[in-house]
Amino acid sequence: MTIPKKISEQLVKKLVELKDTSELMLDLAYSALLLNSKELAEEVEELEEHVDDLHTEFELLALRSGFSPKESKDFLGLIRLGVVTEAIADAAAQIAEVVLRGIKPHPVLKMVIEEADETVTRVQVAEDSPLVGKTLREAEIPEKTGMWVLVIRRGNKWIRPRPNTKIQAGDIIIASGYAEGEEDLTKLATAQI
Amino acid sequence: MRGRLALKLGASKSMTEFEKVEYKPVSVRELLTEMKDISELMIDLAYSAALFHSKELAEEVLELESYIDNLVYLLNMHAMLAARDAEDAEALLSVTVVANAADKISDAAADMAAIVLKDIGVHPLIREAFQKVEEHLTRVKVEPNSFFVDKTVGELKLAPTIGVDIIAIRRGKKWIIDPEDEEVIREGDVLIARGASSGIEEFEEAAEGKIEKLEEE
Repeated sequence: MTIPKKISEQLVKKLVELKDTSELMLDLAYSALLLNSKELAEEVEELEEHVDDLHTEFELLALRSGFSPKESKDFLGLIRLGVVTEAIADAAAQIAEVVLRGIKPHPVLKMVIEEADETVTRVQVAEDSPLVGKTLREAEIPEKTGMWVLVIRRGNKWIRPRPNTKIQAGDIIIASGYAEGEEDLTKLATAQI
Repeated sequence: MRGRLALKLGASKSMTEFEKVEYKPVSVRELLTEMKDISELMIDLAYSAALFHSKELAEEVLELESYIDNLVYLLNMHAMLAARDAEDAEALLSVTVVANAADKISDAAADMAAIVLKDIGVHPLIREAFQKVEEHLTRVKVEPNSFFVDKTVGELKLAPTIGVDIIAIRRGKKWIIDPEDEEVIREGDVLIARGASSGIEEFEEAAEGKIEKLEEE
């Protein structure tokens, strides 16, 4: 490979983020639809802007990496892969727009995504919450509250929940579940237990 | 599920010419569920085609794309027929928007497949990136001593135990896309699967006959 190592590392990093973010957006968009949640739809919109920026950075980086004419086909493939992730992000934003426009999603959509009468909630983890420092597996949020963690927002970063994701103070947890669980989760996150 | 609906719709014919899409009374719910599932499956298949340099898999993606095209057409027809007034039309608009989004996703997957079919080139960096993403893809051959042999996909309970999904099976020259639970795995099958990295590792070891059962997470 003729391109500098630093650039290739950045290209990989950006491609990974593009792919993961676009798939996260799709999950969130369907959740927004299912729960008729404007809040979640707005998160998708925000992520869409983020993906747009990321995609531009990725393309510029690829173009100025100094590849040789022989490598141009491989680089075309690389750039097209970026375009695919961007198209997925666009599709997710399109779904989210239904919710943002205030159109009540057709009941059949709910059936399709999942039959459920759930709400979406968003809580910030307080410094003295028992959740701080625990991994999601240890925190047992679904077991304790019946709420399912959709995504965690940390500053400007979006984290897709994984069993070994560690919860930090200040994290905003977005979760879905029944109304009773919402209260339990709020208590858990704000240390009222 | 795909098989069932495809049969009902008489789809999956030649992909080069447009089929005359006839209106058939299939439920909107069925159509939309199928579109959502297949479009997401297509993305994984398209990424797999790039990752494993498989033209056959890329061709399967293109075929699914024309199938999705028919579904979106039918679904839009349904929506138009169902609207009686402006209120109906607005509610149904949400259905067609989602259908069109699924169509967009399937188009993106087809573009990805075209990279492989037209020999545009898959940069080595792509492979490197795919090792770092959250959802991993793998291709593994089922060895004779694997406990997978002669079991059905459903019996293995891969999704609940290790979070892995088999998205395609290659048996000789035949491809089985999105295998049903009843599909029996045979020795020599090449399995394409997706999942988180820990589960994928275990899955590979099991298919290669290196471990005798799956450890639950």
